[in-house]
Amino acid sequence: MFYNIVLYAALTVFGIGLIYKISGWFRFSIGIHAKNKTISARIPAALKGLIAVIFSQKLGTLIRVFIMDVLFQIRVLKNDKLRWLMHMLIYAGFMFLFFTHALDRVIPTSLFDRYYLKLNPFLLFSGCLVISGIAIAVYRRFILKVPRLKTNAMDQYVIILLAIIMLSGIALESTKLTSYNHYQKIWYIHILTCFLGLAYLPFSKMFHLFTTPASLLANSVMDKNSDPANIMTRQVMELDSCTHCGTCSFHCSVAVAFDSIGNENILPSERMTFLKDYITRKNINAQGLAAIQQGIYLCTNCDRCTINCPAGINLRDLWFNVREEMIQRGHSVSLMLTPFSFYRGLKQQELDPAQYDNPLHKAEKDLTDPFELVNKTEEIISLTPANREFKESADLSTRTGTYSYCFTCENCSTVCPVVGNYENPQEYLDLLPHQIIRSMGFGVKDLAMGSRMLWYCLTCYQCQEHCPQGVKVTDIFYELKNLAAKEASRSSE
Amino acid sequence: MKFALFLGCNIPVRVQQYELSARAVLDKLGIEVVENSEFKCCGNPIRNTDNKTFILMAARNLALAEKQGLDMMVLCKCCFGSLKKAAHLLKQNPSIQKEVNGMLAGEGLQYKGTSEVKHFLSVLYHDIGIHALKEKTTRSFKGIKIATHYGCHALRPSDITGFDNPVAPVLFDELVSATGAQSIDWPLKLECCGAPLLGVHDSLSMGVTERKIIDGKQAGADYLCVACPYCQMQFDTVQQMMVSAQKLNQSLPSIVFPQLLGLAMGIDGNSLGLSRHVLDISRLESFLE
Ligand code: SF4
Ligand code: SF4
Ligand code: SF4
Ligand code: SF4
Repeated sequence: MFYNIVLYAALTVFGIGLIYKISGWFRFSIGIHAKNKTISARIPAALKGLIAVIFSQKLGTLIRVFIMDVLFQIRVLKNDKLRWLMHMLIYAGFMFLFFTHALDRVIPTSLFDRYYLKLNPFLLFSGCLVISGIAIAVYRRFILKVPRLKTNAMDQYVIILLAIIMLSGIALESTKLTSYNHYQKIWYIHILTCFLGLAYLPFSKMFHLFTTPASLLANSVMDKNSDPANIMTRQVMELDSCTHCGTCSFHCSVAVAFDSIGNENILPSERMTFLKDYITRKNINAQGLAAIQQGIYLCTNCDRCTINCPAGINLRDLWFNVREEMIQRGHSVSLMLTPFSFYRGLKQQELDPAQYDNPLHKAEKDLTDPFELVNKTEEIISLTPANREFKESADLSTRTGTYSYCFTCENCSTVCPVVGNYENPQEYLDLLPHQIIRSMGFGVKDLAMGSRMLWYCLTCYQCQEHCPQGVKVTDIFYELKNLAAKEASRSSE
Repeated sequence: MKFALFLGCNIPVRVQQYELSARAVLDKLGIEVVENSEFKCCGNPIRNTDNKTFILMAARNLALAEKQGLDMMVLCKCCFGSLKKAAHLLKQNPSIQKEVNGMLAGEGLQYKGTSEVKHFLSVLYHDIGIHALKEKTTRSFKGIKIATHYGCHALRPSDITGFDNPVAPVLFDELVSATGAQSIDWPLKLECCGAPLLGVHDSLSMGVTERKIIDGKQAGADYLCVACPYCQMQFDTVQQMMVSAQKLNQSLPSIVFPQLLGLAMGIDGNSLGLSRHVLDISRLESFLE
């Protein structure tokens, strides 16, 4: 009686959870491609896509991916053998237990005679498989200390719950013959944790049991030309497929930046965690927005995350889509005025031309606006006392001090291809290179740091190479940009 | 001869013809390259806004090469310039070095400054030599005019990169001549390709590119020749964008140097990724004798 009540309660929660989560794939949207993709358009599109694939040659691809990537998890094996072993132990042991033991009332197992009152070696064996898998998981997450592998509450919860189920199960088997009292107590623990796990499954990362295969299969047959409604649905589903395994962050080209900047959103795996939460609510405070913008823009689009993700998530397209949504949200992103923007420039044909320049202009404005003197051309500047503090602060690269050798020959501005690009350069650049260097000499911070020339510099080093006085013009510009970016991020806090 | 090969972020996904052709050429020349999947971003893109993070990112790669006990061969000129610059800063500034090593220690790495950073072209020029290269060629180009594009971050700042004479370089031109092709003089040879501002200020970036293309055309070039993924993308994908948008009414396609060299060494066009270009370069092989 008790057993049945709890079982049905757990099954009900599980069922509702399943409906809630799966409907979420069609209800929630993400990124700039979200417009006009309503639930009533997305469900039929998904069904249509599904049927089209099943009755096409792509069925073969699906079968191959199912065997290789879902059953044998070749993608994990290629990446990390220890993790593959861990996952296989848990997964194989768990599946065996699920079908032969948990379901033994539903599917009578003719393979083995009934278990009553005798030890079942198969149960114990598969229990031990899972336990060894869990032990590897604990070792990897807590002892081995893989660099930048983050462990969140969900990861811990899954490990603990699985461990309790398995340990109580093994204890149950071994006390069966000896102590009825203990047996009963342990039975309660075992059954209750199993049902808790079942009820919570759709809401936990264990949901990847269903979604990861779905992502792997979907991505194997979808491409850029697939129905945009289906791509949207897939991208939302992919968030549920992420197991927070950290493989992407391990391979990420810029992950090391996290060590000095400390923003977790730089790590792709942590960005996934953020996005899972974000799509259901879509509201975010200013600080959170600044952090996710920096994290998602600090990306070289090297594709390593996509190539290595064991769940087969197409992170490349996800980042492109979400990045654009984030940078269009108003707050300015100084990283946009760096070569991190190259990829966006290359792909600009895929973006809305009416919106394309807005975040760039915003970043430019927020970086130069604090230094208003540049725009007050009428103002007479008093040169004493010069801003010594500023002069001294600009000395990161140890070569910056060379600005004091400048004798205003204007060579730097003459050879500069950016200056040469305009008939009337001052109108577009505010100050020319030699004028910036002179402002440094005078210690007039607002002039040195506020001109657009700094951000429009190609870093081609022509000026520096041609300066007769050995002024490290380009290096000084780098430094000034660093200082301006720091000031902008300070003032936005 | 053995090097740790540093590909950077762009080449493996967007300029595969460079990797293919460089590997094919190096293989023929008997230069061994050792892979290191741990190499990550060189730090170049973050130099504008965060100097410390830039040095950390570059130093991690340098430390990895040191751990392998190898010098680094870099294909990308921005990666090359950035790694050189970081190495210079680390050597000059013990307090930065200490701070960076403190952060690297978490991964069991340490920067000591024992590995050298070399660009692919320097390896061909200095470590192999023009004479030896010529001996390896089996065919020769004839009647083809090549406009060499030196690339800013390898050439300058010359006191740090040590690539070649910054105002009158010869290295790249001599390499091109070794294939029988004619390396032409053109006024904007040493100018920037425009790529660093793509996505930041497109009209300026493309304006710089446009002037180079027109200049190269006027000097009679058949092809631009580069040895950097950014330059190649700018002169290929971006040039095509400019042509489609009618910002340019003529085009000057670009190839990467190991494609030219590879053809002269008798390697087939497919292995050199000749079909992976956006602009049409199908005439290239017709200039072979
Ligand atoms: S995105 Fe993929 S690789 Fe990254 S944590 Fe999620 S499942 Fe792992
Ligand atoms: S594409 Fe971006 S997030 Fe993915 S691995 Fe590369 S740098 Fe990291
Ligand atoms: S070239 Fe050198 S000396 Fe001449 S104006 Fe520029 S910084 Fe000053
Ligand atoms: S480095 Fe910048 S300022 Fe100097 S010449 Fe090049 S574009 Fe002009």
